[in-house]
Amino acid sequence: MDEVKSEVLQGTLDLMVLKTLHALGPLHGYGIARRIEQISGQVLLLNQGTIYASLVRLLQKGWISAAWGTSENNRKAKFYSLTARGAKQLREETENWERIAAVMQRVLEL
Amino acid sequence: MWEHLRTWASRLWSWARMRRLEGDFAEELESHVAMLAEENLRRGLPEDQARRDALIRLGGMAQLRESYREQRGLPLVERLAQDLRYALRMLRKTPGFALFAGAALALGIGATSAVFNIADAVLLRPLPYREPTRLVMLWQDDTTYRFPRNNPSPWAFELWRKQNRAFEDMAALTHNSFNLLGRGEPEYLHADTVTANFFSVLGVAPALGRTFTADDGRAGAPLTAVLSYGLWARRFGAQPEVVGHNLLLNGAKYMVAGVMPRGFQFLDPQVDLWVPAQWDSGYIDDKKTDHFLKVVARLRPGISTQRAGAAMALLGKQLATGDMSDLTAVVVPLREQVAGDVRPALLVLLGAVALLLLIACANVANLLLARGSARAAELAVRLALGASRKRVIEQMLVESLVLSCAGGAAGLGLAVLATRFLGQLIPPGISNSGGPVVNVPLLVFAASVSIATGVLFGILPALRGSRVELVGPLKQGGRSNVGAGGQRMRNVLVVSEVALAMVLLAGAAVMIRSFEKLYHQDPGFRAEHVLTLQTRLQYPKYQSRARRSEFYRQVLQRVETLPGVIAAGYTTYLPLADSGGGSVVTVENHLVDPKHLLIANVRVVNPDYFRTVGMTLRRGRQLDRNDGSDSPRVAVINESMARTYWPGENPVGRRFKRGVLQSDNPWYTVIGIVADMRQGGMDVPVRPEAYFTFEQADFFPPDSLAVRTTGDPLTITEEVRRQIWVVDRDEPVAAVMPLQAMVEQSVAPARLQTGLLGGFAGIALLLAALGIYAVLSFVVAQRMQEIGVRLALGAQPAHVLGTVMAQGLKLYFLGLAIGLAAALMLSRLMTHLLFGVSAADPLSYACVIFLMAAVTLLACYVPARRAMRSDPIAALRYE
Repeated sequence: MDEVKSEVLQGTLDLMVLKTLHALGPLHGYGIARRIEQISGQVLLLNQGTIYASLVRLLQKGWISAAWGTSENNRKAKFYSLTARGAKQLREETENWERIAAVMQRVLEL
Repeated sequence: MWEHLRTWASRLWSWARMRRLEGDFAEELESHVAMLAEENLRRGLPEDQARRDALIRLGGMAQLRESYREQRGLPLVERLAQDLRYALRMLRKTPGFALFAGAALALGIGATSAVFNIADAVLLRPLPYREPTRLVMLWQDDTTYRFPRNNPSPWAFELWRKQNRAFEDMAALTHNSFNLLGRGEPEYLHADTVTANFFSVLGVAPALGRTFTADDGRAGAPLTAVLSYGLWARRFGAQPEVVGHNLLLNGAKYMVAGVMPRGFQFLDPQVDLWVPAQWDSGYIDDKKTDHFLKVVARLRPGISTQRAGAAMALLGKQLATGDMSDLTAVVVPLREQVAGDVRPALLVLLGAVALLLLIACANVANLLLARGSARAAELAVRLALGASRKRVIEQMLVESLVLSCAGGAAGLGLAVLATRFLGQLIPPGISNSGGPVVNVPLLVFAASVSIATGVLFGILPALRGSRVELVGPLKQGGRSNVGAGGQRMRNVLVVSEVALAMVLLAGAAVMIRSFEKLYHQDPGFRAEHVLTLQTRLQYPKYQSRARRSEFYRQVLQRVETLPGVIAAGYTTYLPLADSGGGSVVTVENHLVDPKHLLIANVRVVNPDYFRTVGMTLRRGRQLDRNDGSDSPRVAVINESMARTYWPGENPVGRRFKRGVLQSDNPWYTVIGIVADMRQGGMDVPVRPEAYFTFEQADFFPPDSLAVRTTGDPLTITEEVRRQIWVVDRDEPVAAVMPLQAMVEQSVAPARLQTGLLGGFAGIALLLAALGIYAVLSFVVAQRMQEIGVRLALGAQPAHVLGTVMAQGLKLYFLGLAIGLAAALMLSRLMTHLLFGVSAADPLSYACVIFLMAAVTLLACYVPARRAMRSDPIAALRYE
């Protein structure tokens, strides 16, 4: 049971990371974490470190790539960007998500 | 799928450069913390608090890095590598234990792999023909004549071939021989005359040229031959141009049609070439009761051997007419035919090595248990420091796997070494080019056995070892302690070892007794100092009886007068050479059921043959030179014939003839009885046999010459050959061999099997003894203080000795009882392998019990004496 729940959460977080990179372009881990916190209204991501597990997963799947760069404050940071395969994956996942959400919507409105 | 692959590839890649990646990640986290802290500062937090809050929101650097490591790399591999390093270190620390356990396992795994390799070659590996499982042999069921698997006659073969529905095709072959003339010395060639479809039934293509076509098999067609690879290489220098050229075989020209690939053989590895059978219907009708064929057939797809057998039984009934009643074919899978007698021996040997492996396992498990107790403190510390029980078990299993795999690797080496020697177990009918080798099945087998053994002997000690109660060992300051449970488990292991060794020893002892009887029996002849060889007088040159007679007379005369020669004799079949030459015989005034005619081996000899091979006359007189063509026809018979065909009578003076009563063969008067002589092999029952002189009986031309000499028979080989070539320069001299070598050859499989089983049993005995020794030594070491106290309080040393020995002997007797019961139950599996001794032979069992008792006493005495001599002062000080 726990396993399933965490998988859903993991998947959701991965999708959020992809979407963030899609919307904002190359970004470092801190930036991504910040952005997700802001958008979710501080609800999600109590623990910023979890973002790195997601980033490693996405890297391993080849959906994002990483390179060292300099941040806006002139600080050395690792920047992540969406790959072509990642963009495709995001499209698929988004459609998937919307379909499920729509179905859930209808079910819940019954 | 792709994602998984990529993930793992990435993990592998990361694992390879983990150090760098970790640094990289630390830097990344550091930059993250810095950014968070900056933001906190902007929000107005004091500097030290800004950084601490940042760390908290990140969720702990150390944990993050650990989980990063786990996620990126290969944690399982890392843990394994760690366990491996640890295991190797532990083994290095106890080299005696590692060496002994490794050697025991190497012996067990090596023996098992070696025997498996042979069993694989004989019983499992596909025979080198197309779809070999569909190939069967057909024999004519002449059970009524006591030949349940008789060679089919050409007539029966022809009927079966035309009328059966079970087989795709059916081919026949019969052994033949040729004298090859031409360049070099005349050579005697083994040939098979085969029906033209022979090669297509087997489904083997030639290496060169072609095999036979239906045309080659037509009566009167030009003669053709297919050469074996061996003959082609040996005699024709492997020249491809040989195809299409003519050979001179028995004075006739045969065109070489093709050459078979290297290693091709069917049933007989000696065959040099194949010639097509050219039988017309007249010939076949003439050969109704001449049983000399071998028949190989290919089952139709989807037809089982059983169904084919049933179909052929039915066909046999339909074909039966009047006097031709036995036309049923017995269907035997080709594998069964070629593996033949070796199968039961291999199964017994496989069983033996499995037992040996189990003993080795029990032994190592025992040592591990003892070591586990000694390591209790170490394990307790690890468990106390938070290692999970699973982790400890895992680690201990890795240790035993390291042991078993090292043992397995050494065992594989032993198996390869043993293979050359064990290869003799492979029957000649199985194509055996270069013998068994290291191949994939062997490697897979050795690897699986190693792993299985590692788990088998490792699991108990690991489970036990990991269940240490923490307080005891820690409190005792590292001194080990045995629970009653551990001791019980060790006792059980020792008892099993003794029992298993007992089973092996009993089997080996019975085999040794059996071999003794086989080898030292009276075979009915005296083999020392006898040279044997063959001259097969070929037609048409020796078609005339006068010409053959002249050849024998001259050769015998010349050989007999050679210095060092005592006597020389010609015969149709040498002892042990063959059990062929059987013939229907009719005994005068002895009415028989026409369905149960009498059979006897008929041997045509010259009178000196008896003296040459050293047969014993029991009654009457031998054949002599006066029994010529003008004298009354006489015969000498063996004791079996006298006993079976003239039961309770004196056969001397009575008459019998070859063939049925109605035949116009002449009657022969029995003039003497000789002792039974082994005909087919040292362990093949003797059949009734009759001897005639060549002058009075020429139904079979004698072709084997035996020469009794004063010294080493092989030294006169060249001289005998020269004398034969003086008589006929074109006559090949073949199969030159001392008679003693034929005896050795006949008992060679039994000797090898006995030797192997004996060797395995010896190792088992040694391991079991070491098992008892180890357990007692351990107990004594554990009880040293207690014994010391007792001795100090005035206990008699002899009493201490007795107590310890009694403990060992108790284990021995328990193991003995179980082992004896098991051995007796298993003994009937060995009945097939035994000669002249019961599988439950009391003398063998008595010897084994005695031997085992002696070894056990010794194994108990050494540790018991150590206990007795223990120094009370030292023991007390230790306390």
